[in-house]
Amino acid sequence: MHELGVLIHVVEQVSEVAAENQVESIAKLVLQVGELCSMIPKYMEKVYPAAIEGTILEGSELEIERIVAQGKCRQCGHVFGLIEAKGACPSCSDRQFDILQGREFIIKEIVCQ
Amino acid sequence: MEKFRILEIKESVFEDNNVQADLLRAELKEQKTFLLNVMSSPGAGKTTTLKKTVNALKDQLNIGVMEADIDSDVDAATMAETGVRVIQLHTGGMCHLDADMTRQGLEGMGMENLDLVILENVGNLVCPAEFDTGAAKNAMILSVPEGDDKPLKYPLMFSICDVLLINKIDVLPYFNFDMEACIERVKKLSPNIKIIPICAQTGEGMEEWYEWLHTETKKWNEK
Repeated sequence: MHELGVLIHVVEQVSEVAAENQVESIAKLVLQVGELCSMIPKYMEKVYPAAIEGTILEGSELEIERIVAQGKCRQCGHVFGLIEAKGACPSCSDRQFDILQGREFIIKEIVCQ
Repeated sequence: MEKFRILEIKESVFEDNNVQADLLRAELKEQKTFLLNVMSSPGAGKTTTLKKTVNALKDQLNIGVMEADIDSDVDAATMAETGVRVIQLHTGGMCHLDADMTRQGLEGMGMENLDLVILENVGNLVCPAEFDTGAAKNAMILSVPEGDDKPLKYPLMFSICDVLLINKIDVLPYFNFDMEACIERVKKLSPNIKIIPICAQTGEGMEEWYEWLHTETKKWNEK
């Protein structure tokens, strides 16, 4: 349900860009989704057909690129993958870190005519 | 057949809403209207808490209430008993309100001469946290039966809130709810959050909450 609501928002945003650029049809939509973003790719793919029904995106394919969650340890400065390390620095095991990337949810591009 | 081209968009989905929210917040500041966004799970006691709050503050402040739900107007009907300006918003299946819907609601209700507008968001701990409504402050109500582990499960919600009401403390003896652990978990996510344990039903702790809201409203509307 969350995914559908947000995807409807995405469809509106893409439709605006498409209209501004005289796009006639869209074959593919490419999104970038961070590992820490609450949008789950599996669910997004499931509800995508419902979100695009009756819009310029109807019939298009959805491609999702994952952005790896990266954190920088506040203690020793080590940069590491947050999911893999389960939030603890593999170098010094401290759990305080700054998130460098992984929260993104970006409309990257469309393949269109 | 025509060749396909790639059109780069590179737009953050939440960015568009963030811009709208900042704009709305600035306008509300100008008009001296304090917008409070209240979030919780379904059944945490939002409507009961807010009805009491409105009754306690309506003689000192001009208040408006926006009830957001997927469907029905039961909350608006309950809130209308207080006599303040109330509007029911239907999100049409959407699980949250965004800044644009909030603006539409405010315009529908009429914002003139309101010191405080309370937005009762859709009962949900996930999506409302992602979408800035343009509110001056965010409040969350967590009720004891939901459990002290909610900050662990919904970190974003707790990290964006300015005030947390822990409701239904009258049933603490019957639940395995560790208040100290809960507070510690919340503070880890949001070090400056104000936490007020309350029981909306009996009124326990409510004075502190009224005072917080009254002070914050005055602060916002003065500057």
